[in-house]
Amino acid sequence: MSHIRIEVDHVSFSYEKGNDIIKDISFSTDSHDSIGLIGANGVGKSTLLKMLVGLNLDFRGSIRVADIPVQKHTLPKIREKIGYVFQDSDSQLFMSTAYEDIAFAPRNYGLPETEVIRRVEKALDAVGIPHLKDKQIYKMSGGEKKLVSIATILSMTPDIILMDEPSIALDPKNRRNLIHILNQFDHLKVIASHDLDMILDTCNRTILLANGEIVKDGDTKAILSDQKLLEQHGLELPLCM
Amino acid sequence: MHMADALVAPVVAGTMYVCSTAAAGYSVKKVRLENDSKKIPVMGVMGAFVFAAQMINFTIPGTGASGHLCGSMLLSALLGPFAGFLTMVGVLLIQCLLFADGGLLALGCNVWNMAFYGCFLGALLIWRPMMRGGISKGKILAGSVLGCVLTLQLGAFSVTLQTLASGITELPFSAFAAAMQPIHLAIGVVEGLITAAVLIFVYEARPELIWDAHAGSKEGRFSFKKTLAVLGVSAVLIGGGLSLFASGNPDGLEWSMEKIAGTAELESGGGIYEAAESIQNVTSLLPDYAFKDSDTSFGTVFSGIAGILIVVGLCVGICYLFKFFRKKKQYE
Amino acid sequence: MLVYVIYLNFLERKSNMSKINSAIYEIHHMDSLAARNQWVNRIHPLVKLIITVFYIAVVVSFSKYNIAGLAGMIIYPVVIFQLGDLSFKDSIRKLRIVLPLVCFLGIFNPFFDRQIVTNIGGLPITTGILSMLTLMTKGVFSVLASYLLIATTSIEKLCYAMRLLHIPAIIVTQVLLTYRYITVLLEEANRITQSYTLRAPNQKGVHFKVWGTLTGQLLLRSMDRAEKLYESMSLRGYAGEFYYGNKVPCKGKDYVYLFLWMGLLILLKYIPVITIAGNLFL
Repeated sequence: MSHIRIEVDHVSFSYEKGNDIIKDISFSTDSHDSIGLIGANGVGKSTLLKMLVGLNLDFRGSIRVADIPVQKHTLPKIREKIGYVFQDSDSQLFMSTAYEDIAFAPRNYGLPETEVIRRVEKALDAVGIPHLKDKQIYKMSGGEKKLVSIATILSMTPDIILMDEPSIALDPKNRRNLIHILNQFDHLKVIASHDLDMILDTCNRTILLANGEIVKDGDTKAILSDQKLLEQHGLELPLCM
Repeated sequence: MHMADALVAPVVAGTMYVCSTAAAGYSVKKVRLENDSKKIPVMGVMGAFVFAAQMINFTIPGTGASGHLCGSMLLSALLGPFAGFLTMVGVLLIQCLLFADGGLLALGCNVWNMAFYGCFLGALLIWRPMMRGGISKGKILAGSVLGCVLTLQLGAFSVTLQTLASGITELPFSAFAAAMQPIHLAIGVVEGLITAAVLIFVYEARPELIWDAHAGSKEGRFSFKKTLAVLGVSAVLIGGGLSLFASGNPDGLEWSMEKIAGTAELESGGGIYEAAESIQNVTSLLPDYAFKDSDTSFGTVFSGIAGILIVVGLCVGICYLFKFFRKKKQYE
Repeated sequence: MLVYVIYLNFLERKSNMSKINSAIYEIHHMDSLAARNQWVNRIHPLVKLIITVFYIAVVVSFSKYNIAGLAGMIIYPVVIFQLGDLSFKDSIRKLRIVLPLVCFLGIFNPFFDRQIVTNIGGLPITTGILSMLTLMTKGVFSVLASYLLIATTSIEKLCYAMRLLHIPAIIVTQVLLTYRYITVLLEEANRITQSYTLRAPNQKGVHFKVWGTLTGQLLLRSMDRAEKLYESMSLRGYAGEFYYGNKVPCKGKDYVYLFLWMGLLILLKYIPVITIAGNLFL
């Protein structure tokens, strides 16, 4: 676990030539970091997250995950270590029942069915939803789907968890539940979100992006109480401040 | 256009199942060969899309009627004929089970009538040759309309043949066909227009989504030959039936009367009434007319072809099972 | 035939939205029926599938004048409706799509086939009427059998049964994914058509001018969804194969159930039970 870090070194990326979305970004993480990725709409938060799992491979620079460079042929190995939770639960959950979806990853990795069952139950317990095991996905509420989404990556026993806007579309109670669960995870976490109050509650470190560059990288409380800094880059103080 | 179970005799249903299974098996092989793991999620979502799109009422200007999308031509233009075919199989299965739109036994017929013609013939015989030399809006329009019209005409005609072969209606062939074909011509034109409208929109917004009919043209030529072979088989099946009708009495009505009642006259004399009386004496409830079978000569031809197919299928199946059990034993 | 098409159009007088809503409702409804824990629901899905197909095949194989023999087949639906605690009224709704074509084809029979068989209270019963009745009865019975299957067996279990029949994984996976996303896309379609209808209040359907754009938007969104789906699957190890773990064991009672029904159905095919029962009372 001690060598699980992400190293991003002078990385740039664009969808079309000449129009860089990510401009020369560098940062590295420690294994128990909980990093909030914040910034206005369109600054490249989701793009950056996707690059970490190799969903956008045409970048310049170097990204290393657990000391493995992110390249086409190393993707299977890297993806075993990272769990990625999509913003839209309907993109994350594609099997019929929660059980089947959570079992999807372990089965793909060739684990025997007894181990699969064990992992599924462990994941459901970690997120506090053992009662949803056989429930059908399309009948679930947004909050339930988000929790199942998290369980689907927990069953992979990842070292790193990436989340794209996890608290969007959650009602206050589910949101509080989510924060509680995230705080129980010991993994290296990178969470992209507009919900600054949640970032304050779950992340010890924050990276502020603007125009594809890292504007500030440091202690969460320090950054999120700097009103001038936030407003300069299209954000506001968290509601609780 | 979905056929209900009641409209098919087991023999006809079985035959069409065999044909559809063959087409499906071939499609599975071709899709696997493409080795594109992305195809499966795309097929799944597209299947759901077809479902959703079928619920939309497309009002036809000038009339109060509305047209609908069937989807096989559209799917083929986006996914290619083989993936499109498999997607339609899934859609038809779910329609049959959940919405009782088409019967479980008649699924083989429905897959053939709606998916096979649209995906194989529509895509391979019309779309692909037309798009040689590049795609254009005009070609999309022509290809879609032509493809849909042809698909629906063949489909409607097949429904007619299958129903008649099953002997469930006294409606003579000519009358039935005369009713089915023109209606489905209209439906086909409308569906073609809807398909074209959607494809043109996609072509202008995201042209890379349209199926590239000429990628890997060598392989294409090979499958064209196979398509011809499949066409040939279906032509035999359809033609066999047609020849029967051609050889029979030109007046469809008289022909069917002759075959069923054993007489060309509608109102007959004492002979029939005597028979009826004697039967009436047997039981007081509705009589059992077991001797009056739905065996028309048309059905006999179908039975013949079906019999051969079934026997061959059974032999292949038994061999497969045998191999399967032998393998199982080897691992125990 | 024109009448039939007009009838179908009449069925579609419901606006886009209510049609989509009733489709969504139907899916949820059948699903919840199948999810109950009735005895029949717990029978092995492959057994139920085989019996259903066999039943339909037997029903359809009755000759077209054999209304008496056919009537005996009512035993199966009656029993399963009872065992499965299902509502008959609910199943009747399913008939409205296919029954019209069946009736259309059958309605001509009395005109072409006019041999008189018997008289019931002065009304001549011709062979044509018999074949029409037989056809309609077959129609009803087969739809009921399908309904009973899907009301007691979930799609997932049916797909499992299909896998047991060695239907290729590509097809089965595709069915499961389609089913999973039907409600999602139906609601998407609902939103798009609602947004259209709210701004085009006089239209019952989608006007010609927007055939392409409205449906095209839905299509592109579906494609995007499919892309995200593929990404999501790849991130969790998907490389082209789907693995299914849950095995449903076939217990003794499943075999007994299977053979009992197969035997009974074969019996019913050759012995006109209704006639015999009727005769016993005379």
